[in-house]
Amino acid sequence: MSTPEPGLLVALVGNPNTGKSTLFNALTGLRQRVGNYPGVTVARKSGTCDLGDGQKVELVDLPGLYSLAAASPDEQVVIDALSGNIAGDRRPDAVVLVVDSTNLLRNLFLASQVAELGRPVVIVLNQADVAKEQGLRIDTELLSRRLGGVPVVMSSAWKGEGILDVRRAIASAVAQQTPMKRVAWPTNIAAALTEVANVAATDTGKVVTEADAQRLLFDTNPSTADRLGWTVAQREKTLRSARDRVRNSGYNPMAAEPLVHYAHLRIVLEGVVTEGAGKAGRSAAVDRLLLHRVLGPVLFLGIMLGFFGSVFWLAKFPMEWIQFGVDALKGVVAPQLDAYPMLQSLLADGIIGGVGAFLVFLPQILILFLFIGILEDSGYMARAAFIMDRLFSWCGLNGKSFVPLLSGFACAIPSLLSTRTIEDPKARLATAFVVPFMSCSARFPVYALMCAAFIGPLYGPGWQSVVMIGMHCVGLFFAVPTAFVLTRLVLKVKPQPFVLELPRYQMPKPRDVIWRMWQNAAEFVSKAGTVIFAITIIVWALSYFPRDPSVAERIKVANPSATEEVLKAKVQATYVEQSYMGRFGKAVQPIFDPLGFDWKITVGVLASFPAREVIVSTLGVTYSVGEGAEADSQHLRKAMQDAKWSEGPRAGTPIFSLAAVLALMVFFALCSQCGPTIATLAQETGGWKWAAGSFVYMTALAWLAGTAVYQVVIRLS
Amino acid sequence: MNLEAVIVGAIVGVAAGWLIRRWAAAARRRKEGGCAGDCGCSTKLKPKR
Repeated sequence: MSTPEPGLLVALVGNPNTGKSTLFNALTGLRQRVGNYPGVTVARKSGTCDLGDGQKVELVDLPGLYSLAAASPDEQVVIDALSGNIAGDRRPDAVVLVVDSTNLLRNLFLASQVAELGRPVVIVLNQADVAKEQGLRIDTELLSRRLGGVPVVMSSAWKGEGILDVRRAIASAVAQQTPMKRVAWPTNIAAALTEVANVAATDTGKVVTEADAQRLLFDTNPSTADRLGWTVAQREKTLRSARDRVRNSGYNPMAAEPLVHYAHLRIVLEGVVTEGAGKAGRSAAVDRLLLHRVLGPVLFLGIMLGFFGSVFWLAKFPMEWIQFGVDALKGVVAPQLDAYPMLQSLLADGIIGGVGAFLVFLPQILILFLFIGILEDSGYMARAAFIMDRLFSWCGLNGKSFVPLLSGFACAIPSLLSTRTIEDPKARLATAFVVPFMSCSARFPVYALMCAAFIGPLYGPGWQSVVMIGMHCVGLFFAVPTAFVLTRLVLKVKPQPFVLELPRYQMPKPRDVIWRMWQNAAEFVSKAGTVIFAITIIVWALSYFPRDPSVAERIKVANPSATEEVLKAKVQATYVEQSYMGRFGKAVQPIFDPLGFDWKITVGVLASFPAREVIVSTLGVTYSVGEGAEADSQHLRKAMQDAKWSEGPRAGTPIFSLAAVLALMVFFALCSQCGPTIATLAQETGGWKWAAGSFVYMTALAWLAGTAVYQVVIRLS
Repeated sequence: MNLEAVIVGAIVGVAAGWLIRRWAAAARRRKEGGCAGDCGCSTKLKPKR
């Protein structure tokens, strides 16, 4: 990729869910994440855009926003970027305003505000295909003339149409530097703006632009004043006097800006859009069914049941093929190293056993993200937000909390970043605190292993889906009262109405869905080849050493009639019990005894605190080492099904009883076992206090809930 | 000490060293205001003030 010319920086701005990131990807050839719901982009992303004539510019994709009156941190990113207030960034040389072609009036309000910045502007009327489908005809030439000659082009970034026109328009805007026609402020408001700009400039000694003056006069948010260093004491009197002046001219100072802009835009748009016969209202008809008060939640539950059922059903054979490959590899490698038992155990039991046990879940992860991609891109996820709103509003969460909580089902880290879309800092804090309760995809292999090994064989495949949904609801079940206590009693968050723009339904684009599947699969495999691989080696070493050579002799003497095979198994089991891991696990096991965990599960649970999926490879190693390298057909599920308590009051009974399996899954559903999540929570809440609180609270809750489940189920069964 | 023990010791040592280096790098990145995830991306999140 060639370096862009210095000084040429172009920003991509627009309302949420207008296709900015899709256009950004089409212009730069990058693969920035896109989604058919608002709030997908929460931080600036940049790439190089070729303008078609060899000229290159740096293009910056910014989060979506409705107005320049920044209320939330992601909106503040846009204001900072447009005013050149981001570290290492210049002020953009041109701004590309991405507008939804089907809703010009509302979308152009932001464009009209951006015009006040005085930068050259390109208007891209995106989603032109949908406008055409709805029978809308837009006179782009007339609109361009009315907006002062700025380039106006139509595109359908999703279909890759009109991209060349956008490149040419950016080149033209950069070359001609044509600013967009500004709104004509009524005399009194213009005078008030001049007064604010002059006093602020005098008080701070800084250049105060007209755009700055508008933000100071019209917004209650002090971010512009803070940036300029205009103190409360300095600005209070001036702003009161200026707002009184606006009020005296018949405008409410807080509503004057949209009123004047919309009046201006109504004149600009007169005759620009012609409505013909189209297929409008299809989304509305589907929504009447999917958002029905009774049918909506029932259909939602049905979709989720089908979703998890299909994950098991479709992944069954690919998982068996991978397991077969892992066993075959172990079968080939182990005999080659018969002369080197230590190296043989490291490769066969440690690396192949541990990493293999983890990799087996790749097909389920692929299918999981295939379904998530389809649900997101079709527009259904935003409807799910609407359905769940009643629950969220009851527990005092802001309606905007849904997007972070929803994406928390994939991974908590981007979800914590997306809490920046929430304006109220207290609501943002409460949402960030409960995001780790959402059942992320790292928990999935743990549930899948337990369901496939115990729930499916015992109760049938249907119950696998039910337990899977149940485990995904456990986090939600505890998140709701936690949020209730936090928002109502601790933080005292003011309730806010839920405003979510429902995206239109669309056919998911196979390229985007497959790309997302590929990204997640690559991340999963890369994790298996790096972090899981390294942790597996450490876990193997701790499960293998120390080895007392006299153990074999002592066991042989104590069991004179035992066959060679039985003796070998007893020696292996004794070695593992006497290893560092065995000793440590046995020392800590009493803490987890009320949950029905033996020392091997305890070791798995403790090893999973940096990353929860480590339990699968840890169990893979501890059970492999215990069985010996030659037990290549004994894959993890079978070894766990056969495991029995060797001592104590439960001696001879299965370790993985229904009670222990459910307790383990509930523990994993609630426990705070992800180092990067805790670090991100600390970063997003501005300190370690809330992150440490979340860790202690979730871990204690997981232990209590796991204990309760084990004790209740064991008594009932 | 035999060769087998040396090879196994080296593998375990490299794995432990790599993990420690990775976690230290992630902690440093967070301190500098970068992405707090351990994905290795270099996204800068703090605006200039």
